[in-house]
Amino acid sequence: MAAPMVFEEKGKFLERLRGLVREGVPGERIRVITPFGVPEVEEILPRGRSKVRFFALVGAASGTVTGFAFTILTSLSWPLIVGGKPIVSLPPFLIIAFALTILFGALSTFAGFLLLSRLPSLRGIRSGEEYGNAFVILVEDGERR
Amino acid sequence: MNRDESAMGIADRYAKVDRDVLAAMKRPGRLYLAGLAFTALLVVIGGALWAYQIRSGLGVAGYTHPVNWAIYITNFVFWVGIAHSGTLISAVLYLFRARYRTSFNRAAEAMTVFALMVAGLFPLIHLGRSWVFYYLIPYPTQRQLWVNFRSPLVWDVFAVGTYFTVSLVFFYVGMIPDFAAAKQHVAGIRKRIFSVLSLGWKGTEKEWRHYGMLYLFLAAFATPLVASVHSVVSWDFAMSIVPGWHTTIFAPYFVAGAILSGTAMVITLVVPLRKAMNLHEYITDDHFESIAKILLFTSLIVSYAYIVEFGLASYGENVFEKEAFRYRALGEFRYLTWAMIFCNSLVPLTLFARRLRRNTTFLLVVSLLVNVGMWLERTYRPTYVEVGISLGSFGLFFMLYLLFVKNLPVLSISEIKEHL
Repeated sequence: MAAPMVFEEKGKFLERLRGLVREGVPGERIRVITPFGVPEVEEILPRGRSKVRFFALVGAASGTVTGFAFTILTSLSWPLIVGGKPIVSLPPFLIIAFALTILFGALSTFAGFLLLSRLPSLRGIRSGEEYGNAFVILVEDGERR
Repeated sequence: MNRDESAMGIADRYAKVDRDVLAAMKRPGRLYLAGLAFTALLVVIGGALWAYQIRSGLGVAGYTHPVNWAIYITNFVFWVGIAHSGTLISAVLYLFRARYRTSFNRAAEAMTVFALMVAGLFPLIHLGRSWVFYYLIPYPTQRQLWVNFRSPLVWDVFAVGTYFTVSLVFFYVGMIPDFAAAKQHVAGIRKRIFSVLSLGWKGTEKEWRHYGMLYLFLAAFATPLVASVHSVVSWDFAMSIVPGWHTTIFAPYFVAGAILSGTAMVITLVVPLRKAMNLHEYITDDHFESIAKILLFTSLIVSYAYIVEFGLASYGENVFEKEAFRYRALGEFRYLTWAMIFCNSLVPLTLFARRLRRNTTFLLVVSLLVNVGMWLERTYRPTYVEVGISLGSFGLFFMLYLLFVKNLPVLSISEIKEHL
């Protein structure tokens, strides 16, 4: 890996990044490290939208299904009329399904984030590599990849 | 921004944010330690009284027919309500892209998590035999009997459990990049803990891209909770047939009340925080003015709900309902009712004046009065055990909060840098 290019200012960092892309360095070989999210990076190095959103959808949908299935099936497994309500009382079951939709959705989104960003990373935790508030560009060698 | 700062290079300004925010973690002063000791003492007293109550039975908490929830439900509702504005500020304002959110979100998210931890204790305290709380959790028992999903108590378990989990994830996720930034400024065991908590975050473009999407979705998932959780809590009351409680307006009324009390609590916590930690640059008077507007707005909704409640009772033909409200306004506890209306409806009206919205001392007084007013919403004469346990809950909340300000980044470092 070539030596990291370290910038103090966001403007200069973005300028260099644009320059690298213009010079024909393939985007996959460029890695950048920033102290906060910089939306312009995504425009310069388009990687497509994050797939975290699919985790959100699948998690939320499975929460709804679980909520209804769980309440209905457990009520049917011991059909006991309580307070004159029907065995399958959909309005109160909707509350459980709603809560589980949000719970499963949020947890699966978080899990998706960890999976896609390869976190937690033991190497990251142990490494002493710190750039502070700098904006960093790393260009990986072509041959190794 | 003053002139010195504009002359500073951007790198220095980033470094200044790190320094200013992390300055809170320095060795604590005497006042801080005294506060911590005092809150810990309240926790010990509350804990001892809880032990006494478990040993003697719920009679010592004044439980007798028709009183069966007493002050513990007041506390439960109060603390769940406090939690709400944390979510409102961090999630809803994020979706609306309100800039001033950055000044309050961390403090508000911490408040949500701690308030829910305290709130969660009250159903357990109320149970009497607290150790059988797991009866409420649906699990396959030997008798193959499941919980009654038609019961509001079980809805509470799901609503509050979900709320706590999602709030905790949201609070933690917001801090991941800050842990990575903070670990570069501390040493020893703290550095190791922050390194582990940062999960090895480096700030690569891949991480930020997924992180942005995660944060957006968590905000979107948390937003409906602002309306749903306190609606479910209100149904604990409204599903009963007790006069004065059995009414359909309880859900929106509780939600507005929750946001009112929670916003007041944010102000109560952040005014001293800003002063003690010298964060005037990051939490400005403009920010306080914006949050004061939320307080005023929700106070108007709550006042409207009070009027509707009395209106429904007086127009209706239900004599029990009528009597319940007559008693509330003119009976034994009338002073508490009037104090509540004074604190929640009249005092916040002063915030129509811009000058008062920008005066943080005045805001602190208003917010304290609103907190008192919201606590007065359910009136009743408590025993000393209940008073002690309630004070213990305040002690626990403020103790957790004091520990938070000394050990975690109190403002979102990465977001402040982004907006510089």
